[in-house]
Amino acid sequence: MRHRMSEPTGNLLELSRISKRFPGVLALDEVDFDLRRGEVHVLFGENGAGKSTLINIIAGTFSPDSGRFLYQGREIRRLTPHQARVMGISPVFQEFSLVPEMTVAENLFLGRERSRFLFLNKRAMRAKAREVIGELGFNLDPRRKVASLSRAHQQMVEIAKALLTDVRLLIFDEPTASLTEAETIKLFALIDRLRAQGVGIIYVSHRMGEIKQVADRISVLRDGRKIATVRSDSISETELVELMAGRKIDVLFPHVDHRPGETLLEVNNLTLASDIVKGVNFHARAGEITGIAGLVGCGKSELIRAVFGLEPIASGSVQLFGKPTTAFRPTSMLRAGVCYFPSDRVAEGLALARPIRENASMAALDLPGFARGQVLRRSEEKKTIQDIVDRLKLRPAQIEPAVGRLSGGNRQKVVLGRGLARDIRIFLFDEPTVGIDVGAKLEVYELMKVLLEAGAAIVLVSSELPEVLHLSNRLYVMHQAQMVAELTGADINEQAVLACFFREESAALPLPLATATPVVAPVA
Amino acid sequence: MGESSAGASAASAGRALGNFLARFGLVIALIAMEIGFAIVEPLVLSPGNLLNVLQQTSYIAVFATAQMVVILTRGFDLSLGTCVSTVSVASALVMTGMVGDGLHGMPFIILTGMLTALGIGVAVGLFNGICISVLRVNAFVTTLGSLNICFGIATTISDGRPVFDVPKPFSHLLYSGKILGVPAPVIIAILVLLAVHLMLTWTVFGRSLYLIGGNPRAAALAGLPSKRYLTSAYVVCSVIAAIGALMLTARTGSGEPNLGGNVTLQSIAAAVIGGVSLRGGVGGTYAALLGAVFVTALSNCMGLARIDGYIQQIILGCVIIAAIFVDRLRTGVR
Amino acid sequence: MTTAGVEAIPDSKRGSGAFGRALRRIGFLPALLIVLITLLVLFEPRFMGVFNLFNVVRNSSALMIVASGQMLVLVVGGFDLSVGAVIALTSVVTAKVMAGALEASPDDVPMAIAAGVVAGMACGFVTGLVNGACVAFLRISPFMVTLGTSSIATGVALLLTNGIPVYGMPDAFVKDFGRAVWLGLPMPVYVSLTILALVWIMQRQTTVGRYIHAIGGNVQAAMVSGVNTRFYLILAYTLCGMLASLTSLLLTARLGSGQATMSGNLMLESIAAGVIAGVSLRGGVGRVEMVALSALFLSILTNAMNLLRVNSKIQTIFMGIIVVAAVALDEFTKRRTRHARDN
Repeated sequence: MRHRMSEPTGNLLELSRISKRFPGVLALDEVDFDLRRGEVHVLFGENGAGKSTLINIIAGTFSPDSGRFLYQGREIRRLTPHQARVMGISPVFQEFSLVPEMTVAENLFLGRERSRFLFLNKRAMRAKAREVIGELGFNLDPRRKVASLSRAHQQMVEIAKALLTDVRLLIFDEPTASLTEAETIKLFALIDRLRAQGVGIIYVSHRMGEIKQVADRISVLRDGRKIATVRSDSISETELVELMAGRKIDVLFPHVDHRPGETLLEVNNLTLASDIVKGVNFHARAGEITGIAGLVGCGKSELIRAVFGLEPIASGSVQLFGKPTTAFRPTSMLRAGVCYFPSDRVAEGLALARPIRENASMAALDLPGFARGQVLRRSEEKKTIQDIVDRLKLRPAQIEPAVGRLSGGNRQKVVLGRGLARDIRIFLFDEPTVGIDVGAKLEVYELMKVLLEAGAAIVLVSSELPEVLHLSNRLYVMHQAQMVAELTGADINEQAVLACFFREESAALPLPLATATPVVAPVA
Repeated sequence: MGESSAGASAASAGRALGNFLARFGLVIALIAMEIGFAIVEPLVLSPGNLLNVLQQTSYIAVFATAQMVVILTRGFDLSLGTCVSTVSVASALVMTGMVGDGLHGMPFIILTGMLTALGIGVAVGLFNGICISVLRVNAFVTTLGSLNICFGIATTISDGRPVFDVPKPFSHLLYSGKILGVPAPVIIAILVLLAVHLMLTWTVFGRSLYLIGGNPRAAALAGLPSKRYLTSAYVVCSVIAAIGALMLTARTGSGEPNLGGNVTLQSIAAAVIGGVSLRGGVGGTYAALLGAVFVTALSNCMGLARIDGYIQQIILGCVIIAAIFVDRLRTGVR
Repeated sequence: MTTAGVEAIPDSKRGSGAFGRALRRIGFLPALLIVLITLLVLFEPRFMGVFNLFNVVRNSSALMIVASGQMLVLVVGGFDLSVGAVIALTSVVTAKVMAGALEASPDDVPMAIAAGVVAGMACGFVTGLVNGACVAFLRISPFMVTLGTSSIATGVALLLTNGIPVYGMPDAFVKDFGRAVWLGLPMPVYVSLTILALVWIMQRQTTVGRYIHAIGGNVQAAMVSGVNTRFYLILAYTLCGMLASLTSLLLTARLGSGQATMSGNLMLESIAAGVIAGVSLRGGVGRVEMVALSALFLSILTNAMNLLRVNSKIQTIFMGIIVVAAVALDEFTKRRTRHARDN
C-alpha cells in the first residue's frame, strides 16, 4: 500500500478490443477499458452486461479470446490469478474466494503463507492478520472458521485478503452488497485512502448513490459491449440509467394494469427453521403484481421458496385460495396451481443436456395432457410445448435442441414455459430478469402482463429496485428477516424503500446511499 | 466464474473433435479394430466367429443396459458383479435343492429359481437405492458396501465352491435353446433392451431418470418424485443384472460365486464407451448396445489373437480411461 | 448484524458449538474404541494375550499407512480405488526384482534389497502419478481413473506372476526387516508411527497440507489465491500411491513372498477408516490422527471377529455395512448441524 511517486503517471491498465465468448454467449464484444493510478473507475451495467467477465479477465481468472492487455505499460499474455496477485492486482470477489473449512487467518494467507523452510509460521501470520484487520477497522477474529461467519464478515475477510499485500490495482465487485451502513462508511474511507496512495480501483456496482459518491469515471456496459466512459461529475443519474438500459425508463417497464381481485395467497406469521425469515405476513391477490424488495440475504427469496416447499418452515400458516395448506412440497404446490421460478436457472431450473421440450414439460408430467399414467403422450407433448415456445417467442422456435445451447434470456423463457404447461394461478418469481438481456426482460414483463390479465397472482421478488418499483401494485420491503413495510400507490418510491433498509442504523449517520432516482440493488 | 484459462478456440476445436468422435468414433474404431485383427488372424471375420461375437454381446449388453439405467441418474453400481454372483449361486442352490427333494415338477423348479433371482435383484436394488436416495450416502460408497455384502453372501452360502448340477432344462431354456434359429441369449437380450428402451422413451419414469440425472435440483423443483424414481432405478438395474446372472448361470451350468468377477468393470466400460455420460442425463439403450458390441469384439479379437488374459485386463483398463477422456471432450472442456 | 454484537455473540456461541463439535468429532470414535476394548477385555481373555495384541498392532500399522494415504486423496475431494492393486503390484515387483538381483549377484544383498524397494516404490509412484495427472489435467472423475488404473495394475501383477507367489527374497529383508521385533514391538509399528508423524506435520505445519485442504474445501478459491491446484492434486495421489507401496513392502517382507492377491480388503478398509474418522467425501476435511484411531478400531474389530470365529466372508459383509452406515451417519449429523448453524 505504499505510495509510488517515482513511477510514470500514465495508465495503470489499458485494455483494448477485449472479446470473450462462452458457450452460447458472447460475454464481451471488443471492449476497451483503461484505469489510471489513484482513480476509482466504476463499471456500471445490468446483470449479464459483462461486468464480471471483464473483472475476471483483469484478475486473470479467464483469459480473453482476443484483444490487448497492457498493465503498467507492459503487454500481458496468459495471465493467471497468481501472476495477477504478484503484479499487485487484487480482486475482491462477490462470490467469495474463501475456503469455508479454514480459519480467517488461514484464508488471508492462502497462496502466500509465511514459512520458515517448509514449516508454516502460524504465529507471524496470525499477528499480521490481526494487524491488517485492525487497520481496516473490521471486527474479526483471525482464529474463527470462515464457515461460521456471516456473509458481511466473509466480505470483510475477502477485502482484508486483497489488501494483505502490496496492491496497485484493486477490484471491488459490489462490496457493499452485504455490508451494513457503518461498515460501508468505513469501506469508503478506506477507498479514499487507497486512492490517495495512488492505487487504481475498479468498482463494480449498480447502486446509483454510491457510484456517484466514489467514482471518478464511469464505464457503462450493456450486452457485452462498452457503451460509454464518462466523468462522474458530467452525467446525471437518469442519463446513466438510460445508458445502461439502452432506452428510456418508461419504455423499459411496460405499463401494467392492476385489477386486484380475491386474495389467492396469504402468509401469516411465517418463521423458517433457519430463522432467515421471522414472523412474516403478506398476501397476494389475483390480477396484481405483489413486489418484495430487500437487500441480499434479507430473506425475501427464502420466503417464497418456503411457500413452495423448498425451505423448512418452523411456524406460521399459509393459505392458498382461502384454504389453509400444510403440504409444503413442490408436487403438491404445482397441483394446487402454485409455481416457483428460481433465480439460479442453471443450478435449479434446467437440465442443460436435455432438450427444450423435456425441460418445459418437466413440471407437468403428471397431467393427462402429457401422460396417461406412466405412458408419455409424446405427440401431444410436442404440440403443446411447440405452442408454448411460440407464445414465449423463443428464438429460434425449436423444441428439440439441448437447453445448454440457449442464451440466458431463452433459458428463462423455457423455465417460464413450465408455468404455461399447466394451470398455474400463483406465480412466484425469484429474480426473474437476472442475467438476461434487455429485450428478453421486456418480454418477461409482457408475459407477466398477459398472466395478470388471465387472473393470475404474481409475487415478484427482486433485488433490481427499478423493477419492483415500476411493476408492483403493492410493494413489501423485507429487512433482516422481517417484513418492515407494505407500500402502495404513490408511496412506492425509492426513498421509502431505502428508508426501510437503513431504519435502525441511519439515525446518526449521513446516508451516502440514499439519493435520488434509480438505485439498483445488487444480486448475489 | 469458472474454469482455468483454456483458450476458447482450443475449446471449440476440442468440442468439434469431440462431436465427431462421439458420432462416428466408436464405429470407426470398431471397424478398424476388426480389420486390423483380421489381418493377423483371418478367423476374426469368419461368419462363425461373428455369430459367436453376437452371442457373447448379448450378455454384456444386458449388463451394460443395467448399468446405464443408474449412470443416467449420475450414479453407478459397483455391486453389479457380486450381485450377479449372489444371484447365480442362490438360484442354483434353490434349483438343485428342489431337484434333490424330488417333490416338484421341472417347470415349477425353474420358475422358483428365476423368482429367487429376481427377488435378490429387487433386494439389492432396494438396499442401494434407499441408501442413496433416502439416506443420501454417495453412490460410490453405497455400492462399494453392497459389493462386499453380496460377495460375503455369495461365498458364504456356496462355501466358496461352485454349485453344480443346475437342471439341464434351465440351461436349455436360457442358453442352448433356439427360436427360429436365433439363440436364446440373443432373444433375451433383445427383449431386455427393447423393454428398457421403451421404458426410457415412453414412460414418465424413464423421462424422469434423464431429468434427475441432468439436474437433480431442477427435477425436485419440478415436483418429480426423485427419491422414489432414484430407488426404482437401482431396483431396475439390479433386476436386469439378475436376468443377466440367470443367463450366465445357464451358460456355465453351475452357480458360480466368482461369476461376476469382471462384470462390473465391463458393464461400466461398455456403457461409458458407448456414450453414456457419467455426469448424468445423456445416453440410451443404443449407447449401451454399441459399447457392449465394442467391448465384446475387443476381447474376442484379443482372444483369437491369443493375447494373454491378463493383458486383456490391462487393455480394458486403458480403454476405460480413454473412453472417459473422449466423454470429456464430447461435452466440452467445461 | 450490528457491529457491536459481533465479537460477543459468536464467541459465546463458539464455546458451546466447539464443545459439541469436540464431542462429535473427537469423542465419538475414542469412546467407541474404549467400549470395544473394554468388552473384549472383560469377555474375551484371548484378546489380552501377548501374541494376539502383537498381531493387532501389526495389522493396524499396515492399515494406518494405507489409510493415511487414502485420506490425503479424500481430502482433495477424490478417491483412490487403486490402492489395493498398487499393493499387489508392488509386492510382486519388489519380490521379482529382489530375487532377480540376488540371483545375478548373490553376494550383494544390500544392493538387491535397495533395487527391490526402489522398484516397488516406483509402482506406487507411477500409478499415483497417472491417477493424479488424469484427474488434474484431463479432469476425468477420480473414480473412473482409479478403477481403470486398478484394472491395469492388477493385470500387470497377474501377468508378471501368473498368480503364483514369488519367492527368493533375501533373508535380510524378510527376517531382519519384515519379521523383526524391536523393543518388544513389531517393526511395522515404528514405520507407521513415523509415517503418521510425518503426515501430521505435513498436514498441520506445512503449506502442502494447507493447500491440499484448500483444494478440497474450495478449489476455485485455491485457484484464484494462486495455489497450483494441479500440482497438489497430483502430489496427493502420488503420495497415496507411494504409501500404498510402502504398506506393500511391509506386508511382503513379513510374508516372505510377493503375491498378486495380497491386498485383500485393504482398499475398502482404507476408505472405511477414512469415513469413520470423519473425513468428508466432499473434500477439505480430515485429520490423520483420527484416521489412525479408526484404523486401530477396525483392526481390533476384525481381531474380535476372528477371535469369535466369525467367518471371514461374513466379516466382509460386516465391513460393507460399516462403511455405508458410517457415511449415512455422517450425512445425517451434517444435515442436523447445518440446521443448528443456521439457527
